[in-house]
Amino acid sequence: MRGPHLSDLKTPQTVTRTCDLISTLTILLLTAGGALSAQTPAAPQPSAGSNAVEHTAPAPPKPPPAFYRNLIVLDPAHGGPDSGAQLSSSAAEKDVTLSFAQKLRPALAAQGFTVMSTRDSDPSDELTTDVRAGIANHVRPLACVILHATAAGSGIHIVTSTLTEPDSKSVSHAPRWNEAQETAIGMSIKLANEIGLSLQENHIPVLLLRSSVPPIDNLICPAVAVEVAPMQSTGKATPASDSAYQQRIATSVSAGIASFRTHNAPAPASVPAARAGASQ
Amino acid sequence: MIPRYQRIVFWSLVGCILLMAAFMLRGCQQAHKRLTALNNATPLAAPTTAATEEVTLYVASDSDGAIRPVRSQVSLPQDPSLRARALLENLLTQYSQPDSAHPLQSGAAVDDVFLLENESRSGSDGTILVSLRGAFADSHPSGIEVEQLTLDSIIGTLHAAFPDFGKVRFLVDGQARATLSGHAGLDHPYALVDTSTRGTAPSEAAAQP
Repeated sequence: MRGPHLSDLKTPQTVTRTCDLISTLTILLLTAGGALSAQTPAAPQPSAGSNAVEHTAPAPPKPPPAFYRNLIVLDPAHGGPDSGAQLSSSAAEKDVTLSFAQKLRPALAAQGFTVMSTRDSDPSDELTTDVRAGIANHVRPLACVILHATAAGSGIHIVTSTLTEPDSKSVSHAPRWNEAQETAIGMSIKLANEIGLSLQENHIPVLLLRSSVPPIDNLICPAVAVEVAPMQSTGKATPASDSAYQQRIATSVSAGIASFRTHNAPAPASVPAARAGASQ
Repeated sequence: MIPRYQRIVFWSLVGCILLMAAFMLRGCQQAHKRLTALNNATPLAAPTTAATEEVTLYVASDSDGAIRPVRSQVSLPQDPSLRARALLENLLTQYSQPDSAHPLQSGAAVDDVFLLENESRSGSDGTILVSLRGAFADSHPSGIEVEQLTLDSIIGTLHAAFPDFGKVRFLVDGQARATLSGHAGLDHPYALVDTSTRGTAPSEAAAQP
């Protein structure tokens, strides 16, 4: 009888999970520099005159920040056996959302964001909405953007949850899974308006809606669903699968999210001060 | 040469046959009348009066994402469940017209409607269960806006007709379903409220921190 070897334990699934864990940790480390701990005050730093006992005492673990101000999660909806809507004879919704996500990612990166996507290809198995929400909730991003496309209506539909902010009596309880978005709905509406204004500046028609489209109710971050519909202009309709149309939308959406960050999650005031101190 | 008595017997038999045929025909007609009269008078269902009345239908428009209340003359039964079902069929039939602003496929859409009243409490806390047909849900256009407008249209119309009820829950073929056609969630009850809204445009005020 021989003992277990490492090669025995490293099944393909184990390797895949390890890779996922490493990539998640990398993202967290990358975004840690821009982490905003607005709701979690920074741990007190030891003063220059502190005694030796204070220096040797182990520092308490720093609580994780409420969210990472430079991290955005994209969720291209559908995928795998779930094709979503059939936009035309050759365009399925799952492909249009993926191509739109691939245009939105560099546009957000240009605004200084780190982007994480729930899928970067067409998976063989269906990625459930609960799994997508779990991925987004674990990394605590500044915002979650769910991407959809449709052949009905016109322009861009920016959707926020139908949930309302909880009353003060129930704030102390942890939110339920199906009502997790309650605590962030106010910020989600602000995010929707910021993106909407940015799209309007680029002459793209916008409609703000409320709907319980999965998994928006399960997200704890400010979340919107961006639904791309054909754009009607002077009797000519530009389909949602049009590459130039998607690029215009991606530029506007990324500018809107950057504006949301500036207004609602500004860079910590300590960062410039620390840099100034270091340069002195 | 046929004997005279045989001719008398022959014509007597022919006369008897004709008389019997006439008697049977008359008997059949009377039996048919009697059975028809019996069927007509049988009270199989409660008598209904389908008088035309004015109702408010909440009609959706895809182009601007709006729900507008429209007054309409509709013939409705008195039974509340049948009334709700007829009201929704009437509403959804409008969307299959060629000039509809929210085009949906034609055909029966509503499988059944149940009104669940909660008698233990006062106020509007009853629930309306709307079971949609699977064919309707499967053929419904797919998209967040278009699906939500259909639900809001049904919710607003039911709210106007049944103000004593507080919630509505949607089923498809009597079974729970996650979404209508891949987007708008059906896994939770909706509050029965006035849904007559215009699609909202973004504003500077709402974006301020």
